Amino acid sequence: MANYAILVDDRYCIGCNTCFYKCVQENRLHEEASRSLHRTMVFLDQGEEPGKYHHRCMHCENPVCAAVCTTGAMSKSDYGAVLYEPDICIACRSCVLACPYKVPQYDEEAKGIVKCSMCAHRVVQGNIPACVEACPTSALEFGEAKALRAKAEKIAAEEGLVLYGVGTNVMVLTTKEPTSLGYPKAPVVTGKRSVLGEVFASLIDE
Amino acid sequence: MRAFTNGMAMPTVKQGVVCMHEKKITRRSFLKLAGALGAVTVITPPLRNLKVVRAFGKHSQEKPAYTVTKRIPQVCARACEADCAYYVTVGVDQATGLERALSLEGRPEDPVSRGKYCIKGLAFVDSLYDPDRLLVSMKRTNPKRGMNEDPGWVVIPSQQAVDEIIDKFKKLRREEIIMCSPGDPYTNLLCKSLGIRRSDQRTECFGTHYFINTLMITNPPNKFYSSTYTPTHSIWGYDYSNTNYMLWFGFDSFSKAGKAGILNHIAEGKRKGAKIVAFNPVKTPLADDIADEWYPIKPGTDLAVLLAMLKIVLDEGLYDENYLREYSDAAALVDVKTGRHVASQDGKWLVWSKEKNGVETIDECRAPAFDGGPYTFELDGRTVSAKPVLQLIKETVKDYTPEWAASITDVPAKDIARIAREFAKAAPKVCIPCLKRDAAGPNYANSWRLRHAINILQALVGAIDREGGVLLLNGVKIPWLEEVSPPVKEFPEQPTWSPDFRHEFPISEKIYREKDFSAPGHYGILGYGLYETDVIKAVFFRSPYRGLYSLIQPQMVEKALEKMELVVDWNMYMTDVAYWCDYVLPGGHQFEESKLDARQYYPKYPCYVGGLPVQKSPGDCIGWGAIAMRIGMAMAPEYWTTDGSGDPSKTIPTNLGERALQEQGIASSMGEFMEKGGFWMDDSPYEDGKTLREIGYGRPNGRIRLYVDDFLDVGHEALPRWAPRWTQPEGEYKFSTVITRAPWHIHADPNFLNNPALKPLTQMNYIDCVWIHPDAGKEIGVSEGDWVVLETNPRYMPKEPRPVRAKVHLSKRVGRKDCVLLFHGMGYRTKHLRVAQNLGYREGDLIPQKDPAIVKKHDPTGMGWVEDVYVRIRKG
Repeated sequence: MANYAILVDDRYCIGCNTCFYKCVQENRLHEEASRSLHRTMVFLDQGEEPGKYHHRCMHCENPVCAAVCTTGAMSKSDYGAVLYEPDICIACRSCVLACPYKVPQYDEEAKGIVKCSMCAHRVVQGNIPACVEACPTSALEFGEAKALRAKAEKIAAEEGLVLYGVGTNVMVLTTKEPTSLGYPKAPVVTGKRSVLGEVFASLIDE
Repeated sequence: MRAFTNGMAMPTVKQGVVCMHEKKITRRSFLKLAGALGAVTVITPPLRNLKVVRAFGKHSQEKPAYTVTKRIPQVCARACEADCAYYVTVGVDQATGLERALSLEGRPEDPVSRGKYCIKGLAFVDSLYDPDRLLVSMKRTNPKRGMNEDPGWVVIPSQQAVDEIIDKFKKLRREEIIMCSPGDPYTNLLCKSLGIRRSDQRTECFGTHYFINTLMITNPPNKFYSSTYTPTHSIWGYDYSNTNYMLWFGFDSFSKAGKAGILNHIAEGKRKGAKIVAFNPVKTPLADDIADEWYPIKPGTDLAVLLAMLKIVLDEGLYDENYLREYSDAAALVDVKTGRHVASQDGKWLVWSKEKNGVETIDECRAPAFDGGPYTFELDGRTVSAKPVLQLIKETVKDYTPEWAASITDVPAKDIARIAREFAKAAPKVCIPCLKRDAAGPNYANSWRLRHAINILQALVGAIDREGGVLLLNGVKIPWLEEVSPPVKEFPEQPTWSPDFRHEFPISEKIYREKDFSAPGHYGILGYGLYETDVIKAVFFRSPYRGLYSLIQPQMVEKALEKMELVVDWNMYMTDVAYWCDYVLPGGHQFEESKLDARQYYPKYPCYVGGLPVQKSPGDCIGWGAIAMRIGMAMAPEYWTTDGSGDPSKTIPTNLGERALQEQGIASSMGEFMEKGGFWMDDSPYEDGKTLREIGYGRPNGRIRLYVDDFLDVGHEALPRWAPRWTQPEGEYKFSTVITRAPWHIHADPNFLNNPALKPLTQMNYIDCVWIHPDAGKEIGVSEGDWVVLETNPRYMPKEPRPVRAKVHLSKRVGRKDCVLLFHGMGYRTKHLRVAQNLGYREGDLIPQKDPAIVKKHDPTGMGWVEDVYVRIRKG
C-alpha cells in the first residue's frame, strides 16, 4: 500500500465545515462533538488576519505523539496515517502536551484521545477519507504522498503560496502566513535534530 | 483562540512554545517535567514509536464504525433551493446495533450537486432522530398566551386537532383568517378555494428578486415557473462553471458557503480562470481567496456602483447592440409625455427605424435607433414624441460618474471604472449572482433599484439566457393542483383587505391575484398589520424550516397573537411561537417524503430527480397535503373533488410528480421512474435566448423589459435612479446591521440549531456573537468577549422594541467600523429545544416591522428594508 497524504488547498475552502460534520457521521462522533471534541474543524476567524484555520491531525512523518506515547497507543502506519489505539492508552496525555500542532484532544469522559485517523477504515478499502470526499469545492485532495507533495510544492512556487506542513502527510496551501490565520508555528524540520528534539528545544525559555 | 477542550485547563501553543496556564516553561521547570516524562519513557524503549509498529489490517481504527445496508435516493428540498440530489445511507450503527440513517453519499449524475452535498444536508440525516421532534398534536388548555405562561398542553390525535380547527374556521369570516405559508400547491389551492389571504415569510428572502425579475423577464404566468418543494421564486441559475467574470454584491457568502449545489460549480469556474469581484462590508470566507478582489463597500450603497458601471458601459459603447435588438426593449420608444412604451394597436412595441425614418414594430425593424430623439410621429390620430429606452437609460445615468459613486460607497472610482470595462469585455459569459438576503436582495429599501440596475447591466452585455451567464428555467415543471384537476367553477374572490397590506402595493397585489398566487407575501408588514388592526382572528403558520422566527420584529407578532381567537402552527418542533398557539400540529421530516424535483437552481439542462422516503413519519405526524385536503373537503369540497360534487371518493388527484413525468413521456408512474434510477436529464446543449423568447415580454418573441412602466403607476420611476437608504446613522445609533448566517444554519430552523454536535461548532466560530471591527471596539470601549446590548434607533422602532444582548467578537472580517455583523435565526427561548435554547441572540428583534405608508415611498414592491437598521452598542 502506498504512503498517502492529504493536500488542503485553502484557496478553495469556504469554511462550511462539511468536512467536520462528515467526519462526525463517518466515525459516529456525535457525542464527542457535542462536547467540543473534533477530529477536524475549520475555524473561520482565529488569527490576526481574516482567514481560515484547518485544525486537523497533520499525520507527521515522524510523529512526536507516537514518540512520547508511553504505551504505543499512538503509532505511525505504513500508509501515512498516525493511528490511535484507545484500548492501550493510559491517558497520560503526553501526546496532548507534545504535539506541536495542538491536535490531540483529551476526552475527559472516555479517558482517551480524539484525533483524526485519516479514515484508515476507508483507506485500507481503497477509498478516500470522508472529509476529502465530502468537500463541496474539492479543496481537499488525497493521494500518494510524494506525488502530492511535489504537486503542492509546484503550486506554492508558481502561485506564490505558503506551504504549511513540511515533514507531515497533511499539507496546507495558504495565501497568507499561516500563523496569522491561527495556525501554530510549525516545528522547523532541519534534520539536525529529531522532531522530538526540536519540540523539546522549543519548550525552553532561554 | 477559544479553548475546545471541554473546560479543562490545557496547555496552549504560542509561537512554538508550549505554555502551561499561560506561563512559559522555564528551563528549571522543564527539566522537572522532562524528568517526570523520562521516568515514564524508560519503561518503554526510546524511539520505539517513531517506527511502524502496526501491520496493515491489524488496527482497530481500520474497522468502519458502521455498515451500509441501503442507499435511499433523496432530494434536499428544505434547507436551500439548490435541492441537491444524493443518497441517504442507512445502516447498522455498531455502537447501538440499530439500523438507522447514517450519512449521505453523493449522486454524481445530478447536474446541480454533481456528487456533493453540504453540512446542512448531513445534519438533516441526524435531525430525523432529534429527541425534541414533535410527534403528536398539542392543544392548549390555558387560554393565556405568552412566553412565561404554561400553555397546559394536552395531546390530542392530529385528525381531531384538524377537525377542531375546521370547526373554529367555520365560525369565522374568510376575511378574518390568514394563512402564513409559502405558495406551495396545497396552500395555494386551500387559500383560493376558501377565499382566504396568504402571506409568507419569504419576503425577506426572495421578494425583491421575484418581483423585479417577474416585471422584467418572466411576465407571469411563466409556463416554466412551477411548484417545487422549495419554492424559490428564483427564475434562473448562473453558469458558474463556465463564466468568465462574476460580480458579487453581497452574495451573502457565509450562508452560501453551505450550498454545495452551487459551490462545486463556483469552484470549477474559479479553477478555469473566472474572475470574481466581491462588494461586501464583510470579508466572508468566499472573499478570502475565491474572490480576486474585495471591496468593503458602505452598506446599502451598492446601487451607486451599479449606476456608475452602467454609465461607463453606455458611454464607452461596451454593450451588445445585436443582443439588445433581439432580446430586449432597448430600442422600444417611450412617449416622453406619458412615460409609457409606445405600442401599435395590437399591442406591439414600436421603434424608430433609421432606414425608413419612421416607426415600425420592434420585431419587424432590423435597424432601430437606440439613441437620439425625441422622434416625432403620428399615431392613432395624435402626435407622439418618443425616445428609445436605451437613450432614456443613458440620460438617467449621465451624472452617475465613478467619482460620484466613490464618494458614496468608499469603492475607489478607478476600480469601479476598470471593473465595469473588464466585466463588459468578458461578456457575454458573465453574471452577477444574487440569491436572497444579499445586498441585491430584499435587504435595503433601495434594493429593488439595485436589482433593476443589475438586470439592466446583465442585459446590456448580453448575459441573460446565455451559456456562461444567466441561465433561465428550462422546459420542465411540476404542475399545480389546479392544472391537474381544473376547478369546476370560479374561485371565490380574495378578500380586498390583507393583513400584510399587500392590497396597498398594486404591483405585488396584481401579480398575486391575477398571475401567480404563489408570489411572496409581505411578511415584513404582516406583523404590523396584525398588531395595528383587529380584522384578523385566526393565524395559521406553516412553519417547518422557516418559522415565525425568520420574521422581523417577531415581538410585534407575538403581541398581536395574544388577541387572536385561533393560532395554529404546523411544525417539526415546539418553537417559541408555540407559546402563543392553540394547536401545534406535528409535521414530518423532509426525508420522510417522496419527491420529484425539477432542478431549478442550476437549470442548464431539463432534469428531474426523484426521492423516496427513508422512513415513515413517526408518531402522529401529519402531512401538509393531508391537512389541506381535510380542511378543503370540509369547507370547500367543490374545489377538492374532481366533479365538484364533494364526494369523498372523488377527491382531486395529488400525484403531481407523476403527472409531470407522464407529460414528458419519461415514465408512467413515480414507481417506474424510481425503479429506473429516479433520474432523467436532457443534456442537449443550452440554447441561448430560447427561453427568453418563450416567456419574456412582447411575445411571441419575448424580450427583457428594461423599462418597467408599472412603476409609474405607483409613483416611482421606470428606470433605476440613485436613492439613499431609508435610514441614516444618528448619534450613537451608528452601526449598520449586516446580516448573514453560518453555513450550517438556515433561517431559524431547529433542525440545525438544535443539533448538539453543531452547537460547539457555532460557539467556537463566534457565530453566537455580534461581530465588530477591532477599531470600532476600541472606540466604544468594548473588548473581545464582552457582553453588549444592541438597541435600534427608537425613531425607526417606536413600538415594541426588544434590545438584544450578546457577546462581542472583534474581527477584521468586518471590513468597516460602521457595521455590526449579526447572525440570523438564533435566540430561541423555549425549553422544548434543549440545545437551541438560549443559543445566540435573535437579530430579528432589532429590525422594525414595516409601516406600509413609509415603505411605499421607498419601495413599490414592499419587500425591502431588512438591513436599513442602525443600532447602538453598549456594554451590558
